Amino acid sequence: MQRFLAILAFYKPFVVWSFIVTAIIGFFNPQIAPAIVTKLFLTVFAWYYVNETSNKRKLTFYKNIGISPLTLFSYMFMVDCILTIIFLTVFKEFT
Amino acid sequence: MIFELDNVELYFKNKRILNGIYLKAETGKVTAILGRNGCGKSSLLDIAFGTLKSKYKLIRLDNQPLLKPLYKTDLAKYLPQYNFIPRGMKLKKAFEFFNLEWSLFIENVESFSIYENSKFKALSGGERRLVETYIILKTKSQIVFLDEPFSHLAPLHIETVKQLIKEEKETKAIIISDHLYQHIIDASDTIYLLKNGSTKKIKNLKELEDYNYLNANSL
Repeated sequence: MQRFLAILAFYKPFVVWSFIVTAIIGFFNPQIAPAIVTKLFLTVFAWYYVNETSNKRKLTFYKNIGISPLTLFSYMFMVDCILTIIFLTVFKEFT
Repeated sequence: MIFELDNVELYFKNKRILNGIYLKAETGKVTAILGRNGCGKSSLLDIAFGTLKSKYKLIRLDNQPLLKPLYKTDLAKYLPQYNFIPRGMKLKKAFEFFNLEWSLFIENVESFSIYENSKFKALSGGERRLVETYIILKTKSQIVFLDEPFSHLAPLHIETVKQLIKEEKETKAIIISDHLYQHIIDASDTIYLLKNGSTKKIKNLKELEDYNYLNANSL
């Protein structure tokens, strides 16, 4: 549970950006499959960005508590997908 | 636990940084790495922990080769040169993530009792360094890497860290690197000098002067 909370702490700065992307997707094409593919692309991009910049240092904390970058970004993707699906489902109900 | 790092070769572009490295650390001993600025000490610790990929390296744990990064085994903890705990995290939360008791920390450093619900960004550089060093040393593990643990620390806190190292080495193999060589010499059992990309085991402290790491008569 502690490890999951640590992953959520890493995800926190990305939440607003993720929400903006989900809102744009919802406005133009509120289908779940393309939204998830978009989120997968953005997660891979975030991984690349963190790895290639000084943000890489943030990963040391996670490695020290036993969370590898693969686990970290996989869980982040899953949490993001759940939030995206909930948002799009609610969005479709009202449009 | 016997930790050995062997055959490390590291290049940055075409420049060779490390070659001919051998380092051995074992439970009950503190192994120190000394060397000039930019000689590759931090890179060596990064390679050992698995956060930096080198061209070649061989890690052996109790004579068995390790084929995956050390951090994936959960056997090792690493204090890097920089602050590694997120600035926005509360001290209390960080202790929970590492399964440590806040009350035990306060027994060691009473003056920190006011910070339990503070975030790391509220601490000074030295205070933050002390908390991070404590966390890395006290967390359950078998190998500990400390990169410049004495940097930014007040003299009183340096003694606290040296005492912690002395306590923890009973159950852990500790590998330490710092420029404050007097403290390193006090705290360590084995010393390696990193020079020209390779390690030299120091048997007599006078060798540190012979290799031009220290000025003559500075010991």
